[in-house]
Amino acid sequence: MTTRLTPLVLSVTTVGAWGLVLAVFSGRAELVVVVLPLLLALLVTSRTTAPPDWSITHTISAERVFEGERVTVTVTVVAGQAVALLELFEPLPPGMRVVGGHNRGFFTLARGQRVEWKYEVECVRRGRVSLGTMHARWWDRAGFHAGETAMRAPWQLRVYPSVLPLRRLPGPRRTQSSVGNYVAPSVGEGLEPGDIREFVPGDRVRHVNWRASLRFGRLFVTQYHLERNADVILMLDTLAEAGAAPDTTVDASIRAAAALATAYLARKDRVGLIEYCGPFRWVRPDSGRAHHERLLEALLRADVMFSYVTQEVALVPRRVLPPQALVIAISPLLDARFEKAVVDLAARGFDVMVLSPSPIPLVRRARRASPSVDLACRLWALERKARAEALRRLGIAIVEWNPAEPLQAALGGLVGARRRRAAR
Amino acid sequence: MRHLTAMLACALVAYPLLIAPVTSVLVIAAMALALCALGFLLGTPLVVAGAILALVEYALALWLSGAPPRLVGAALFGVGVTLLLETADFGWRAQRATLGPGVVASQIRHWATFGVIAGTSALVATGVASAASVSVRLPWAPALAATGAAVALVAVAFAVRRRRR
Repeated sequence: MTTRLTPLVLSVTTVGAWGLVLAVFSGRAELVVVVLPLLLALLVTSRTTAPPDWSITHTISAERVFEGERVTVTVTVVAGQAVALLELFEPLPPGMRVVGGHNRGFFTLARGQRVEWKYEVECVRRGRVSLGTMHARWWDRAGFHAGETAMRAPWQLRVYPSVLPLRRLPGPRRTQSSVGNYVAPSVGEGLEPGDIREFVPGDRVRHVNWRASLRFGRLFVTQYHLERNADVILMLDTLAEAGAAPDTTVDASIRAAAALATAYLARKDRVGLIEYCGPFRWVRPDSGRAHHERLLEALLRADVMFSYVTQEVALVPRRVLPPQALVIAISPLLDARFEKAVVDLAARGFDVMVLSPSPIPLVRRARRASPSVDLACRLWALERKARAEALRRLGIAIVEWNPAEPLQAALGGLVGARRRRAAR
Repeated sequence: MRHLTAMLACALVAYPLLIAPVTSVLVIAAMALALCALGFLLGTPLVVAGAILALVEYALALWLSGAPPRLVGAALFGVGVTLLLETADFGWRAQRATLGPGVVASQIRHWATFGVIAGTSALVATGVASAASVSVRLPWAPALAATGAAVALVAVAFAVRRRRR
């Protein structure tokens, strides 16, 4: 807790001194009289104010939100004794922006008075936000004397990446044994009708195809296709990023990963996450709402972390990267180590596809337009095209996504590329 | 709050024009007003410069007019200068901040009380000084120069101390 005189004292002193100097030069008594109120104000300053007794509490409208959503912060100030003028300021992290009210307030409090102060913030970037350091400054009414302190009233907010809407998703080449939404070629218990065959003892009566039975005079049953699920592994590249926050390639990749995870989990698939940041960090594939939250939590932590360590994909356990899984690698292809990992996975027979958020529009947005930037971006685009072509030649489906455009459009390209490849 | 500061600034630069309505005073008045207006946008040091210029304008007007002393006007002018500095400072601090219930009202009450007390005190002090000057003849100009130098010295010392911290 510190107290001090404010710069206003210096201002008043300066003006007073000028008044006296002018009085001497002009020889007019009025200028001395002009200075008297200034001197009186300075005399009042010499009274020291005792530090006020007050407390604050915080409440927030939601503890878990998605990017772009708003949260109302309510600060309640209770004064133990009268406070002439209390200034409160709560600094916000870069991922949050004040959209309603102000995060700084002035209050005049009577003894025991309770004041509520509200402001609204927009969560711009994902992350775990820990806040609650309130800087307080109390002033005397004239503004000559101020005391400062800081107070902790901790509150935490989890900002999950925004989930982009997806309707069509790239289907896996191979399915797993659990029940899901993919129609398998093999017959068994399911909803999708397949062949018709003659009734044999042991068949269920509800499977009898009465139309065929009446036509042929014998009992026939309808067989159904099995409906299976798939294992989908989202492989996230956090080796490097380009662009300015909150629109870096890692931000775009994480939004895409959140959208894909949500969409695949809605289709009863098991979804896993591998974050490649030099070493691997992973979440085992699973399904359900609890697992959705687990994935979103893992995506909250994901960030670029510089490391000289480069691990091989062979080190990832089978339970994390099941052999028949569909691997969707989300990478801006800025680091050759990630490309090598993708090629390695494809060589091991994994069904791999690459969704590449393009860093070029993000970097272009972050920099001032100039002919040199334009030329650099064009060269960069050519280089990226050549690298993508090299991956395609190895049989890896790759699609470039401009993060300013809907993800669904880019995924449509990925679905088409896989269909063409399957037809060949 | 800015309305109050603007009204005070206008009153301060207009008063010397009533004493001596000449071009030189008008020019300084315009400069003082411009500095105050810039101070609203850029910061209180410019308002301080504007207040000093208003003082210079007032001194010039008094010197040019050569009229007998108007002590009530001078006391009001002094109160105006003090309130100009205080309101400009408060206005700057309260920018982009939520003002709680009763903050503005209590500040205005404080300034009004201060204005009355300071004006009355200045007039009383002037009366006492006038009464005393009948019996005691002081060399006013050197005394004022010494007081001004002392105040300036204190201000410089204060500024240096702040910078070191």
